[in-house]
Amino acid sequence: MRMEEKHSPEKDIEWKKGTSWKKGTLWKRRISWNKYLAAGVIMTGIALTIGILGLFWTPYSTTAMSAAEKFAPPSIRHLFGTDNFGRDIFSRVMQGMGTTIGISTLVVLFSGTAGILLGAITGYFGGLLDEAVMRVTDAVNGFPSILLALVIISILGNGKHNVIISLGIVFIPSFVRIVRSEFIRLRDADYIRRARLMGVGRLRILFVHILPNIFSVFWVSVMIGFNNAILAESGMSYLGIGVQPPDASLGKMLSDAQGYLQSAPWYALAPGLAIVWIVLGFSLFSEGVRRYGE
Amino acid sequence: MIRIENLSVAFDKTEVVKNVNLDLVDGEVLGVVGESGSGKSVTALTLMGLVSESAQITSGRILFDDVVLQEAGKPRDQVLYRRYQGAQMSMIFQEPMTSLNPTQRVGHQVEEMLWLHAEHRPQGPWKQASDALRLSGRRTGQKEEFRTRVLEAFHAVGLRDEERVYTSYPHQLSGGMRQRVMIAMALILHPRLLVADEPTTALDVTVQNQIIALLRKINSKQNNAMLFITHDLNLARRLCGRIAVMKDGRVVELGETEEIFRHPRQEYTKRLIEAVPSRMKKKTWSADAVLGKAASAEAALNNSAPVVRVHDLSVFYQDGSNSLFGQKKKQCVVADASFEIYPGESLGLVGESGCGKTSLSKAILGMNRSIRGEIVSNTTRPQMVFQDPYSSLNPAKTIGWLLQEPLRAAGALDRSKVMTKADMEAAAYDMLHRVGMEDKYFHRKPSQLSGGQRQRVSIGQALITHPGLVVADEPVSALDVTIQAQIMELMRRLQQEMKLAYLFISHDINVVYQMCDRIMVMKEGRIIEVGETERLFRAPKEEYTRELLSSS
Repeated sequence: MRMEEKHSPEKDIEWKKGTSWKKGTLWKRRISWNKYLAAGVIMTGIALTIGILGLFWTPYSTTAMSAAEKFAPPSIRHLFGTDNFGRDIFSRVMQGMGTTIGISTLVVLFSGTAGILLGAITGYFGGLLDEAVMRVTDAVNGFPSILLALVIISILGNGKHNVIISLGIVFIPSFVRIVRSEFIRLRDADYIRRARLMGVGRLRILFVHILPNIFSVFWVSVMIGFNNAILAESGMSYLGIGVQPPDASLGKMLSDAQGYLQSAPWYALAPGLAIVWIVLGFSLFSEGVRRYGE
Repeated sequence: MIRIENLSVAFDKTEVVKNVNLDLVDGEVLGVVGESGSGKSVTALTLMGLVSESAQITSGRILFDDVVLQEAGKPRDQVLYRRYQGAQMSMIFQEPMTSLNPTQRVGHQVEEMLWLHAEHRPQGPWKQASDALRLSGRRTGQKEEFRTRVLEAFHAVGLRDEERVYTSYPHQLSGGMRQRVMIAMALILHPRLLVADEPTTALDVTVQNQIIALLRKINSKQNNAMLFITHDLNLARRLCGRIAVMKDGRVVELGETEEIFRHPRQEYTKRLIEAVPSRMKKKTWSADAVLGKAASAEAALNNSAPVVRVHDLSVFYQDGSNSLFGQKKKQCVVADASFEIYPGESLGLVGESGCGKTSLSKAILGMNRSIRGEIVSNTTRPQMVFQDPYSSLNPAKTIGWLLQEPLRAAGALDRSKVMTKADMEAAAYDMLHRVGMEDKYFHRKPSQLSGGQRQRVSIGQALITHPGLVVADEPVSALDVTIQAQIMELMRRLQQEMKLAYLFISHDINVVYQMCDRIMVMKEGRIIEVGETERLFRAPKEEYTRELLSSS
């Protein structure tokens, strides 16, 4: 017997809104996704606001040095203190967050789009192309991703744009895999067969009929990918091959602060907390979305 | 022996079983009949103590030999229940595919029943844990004895070649064999109560028959009580002494089987009995056609050109076509099929699962290209209605969008068929009305529709481009009987309105009888008999046809 048939259509709608069979869990569940989602939305919202604002305006210039205010501890004037050149750390964190979020967004956009295209085509059509693409992604997956990004960077040279390209390439396989498996799952679904019978074109089946149905799965992987991109970008900047000075970057700030951990701990603390804040906020957000979708 | 007194069960404050009173004595078979959602399965699961923790008994109690098993307001006593589950009362489920563990040999799974209820079970939590993990305690002399008992049980449920079955994994057995194993498992401890929850629904008709016969035999031999849950009134009629009809969680009628069939007291029971497609009844829809149909069918045969003519068609199934190095094996699933489908007629296609019905229909639809032979089609793009209404509509789209998509596709393929947006919308609304649905569903998504409504939309989607032929693959077998009757009625009405031809695939002989003008019988990839419905039922030429038709 089908459980779904238990509901009248009207009940179905109610049920969709988050009622659950279990007594008591209705209350718990609504709170639990509220908690995750609300915390995620608030944290991500703050990070985005600060980051985007930081790209256009900061309380102090991010490059203005001041010998008099070297290593000033946190105060009202300088919320996070100043660094070894007397630059305002808060302003630099603001700009760094903007840069990091921007780069990560572009990376995910790039690899996500490529992943959808490759995954859709390989998953739906299968065959030789599928085999070829999958073996290539296996090969890419075989390397540690940061290492591979380093190799690509060393070919392309340093700089923001090349970080985006290299990380973008490295991130493609994970998206391809997820999209491909979903397309394989759905290509033989009854409603896709019927679409084929109606004579719907292949491209339309791929992107109008199937794609909307994989969105929830894809969305989760985009969020995870975004977090990984933030960590990877920070890591590359930390190694000095990402964003180049004098532009601020969270990873680069961390590596600069390393030498002054004893004397000026706030220097390392500020960018570190910023990274944790973004990643945590986004994890909570994606968890909230996932739970909401369930 | 078993008494259910005033039982109500609620999930999340919604009562799904309301004040049910049932009782059973040894040797009796009680049928519980109702549509899905009527609470029959929940009643059975509550009786067995298997219903999920979130269910609450809000009133009443369940007694087994005057021992209270469950009572309202008290939590389920698991320890008490374990003494009864398996040994005193056991259950057969609907789906033989999922109720056996796929990673264990079936013999061991049945044997486990014996181990769990063995007299010398180890004591203490550690010993029991190690016993459960088979670390120790199983090397006693009982092993041989248990094995023999399992083999005997297999023999008793009609499994031949018991030794081989014992060492088989579930996937190596057919559906019928698996269900027999399930029955053996349920009966090996000689329980006094057997609960069978739709035990034959997932099986082919001929196999269904054998299982019913087996259950009847076991019942008369072992004299155990049986609670037989089904949505199929005919099935209940053949097996049960008494029948309880359930609706919306209540038992609306309870009485002797024949009494209920002859003099149903409730309006609902009457409707249920009437909805069951049966050969006993006249073909309700062809009152006028009884006279005109035969003549018109003949005229159709003689005059009009067939919608589809199939000549010497063989269909192959390609294995491993999806892997690079896989051997491409060709398997012939349909051999030398020749037949015609005429405009306005319904051609039934019957046969057991795996006989090639679906492969044949796919070939006609052009979904399978590895064929040999000839298919001449006089119609544009034949469409299909699938069995499962839950998977045949794209869940991401609205009903309106779904109904318009075939028109858009037709426009994209053929310039002359391009329609304006307003025209398409009007056509979609028109189709929505034709399949008997209201405007308000236009903007809804499939998930907000019931199974019957989805099947209506499915039919609408298939018909909106006015194809001459629609292949319907078990279009009503996933639906409740009353809904089934409505959908069949709808399909017949649309057939007359739109001059459609149906290729109607079904395993339900009664449905085919009600729907079809001619019937085609398939066995092992070959069409063994084609004939007018009445003729085929009266005087089948082949022995297999007789067997198939008499099996329901």
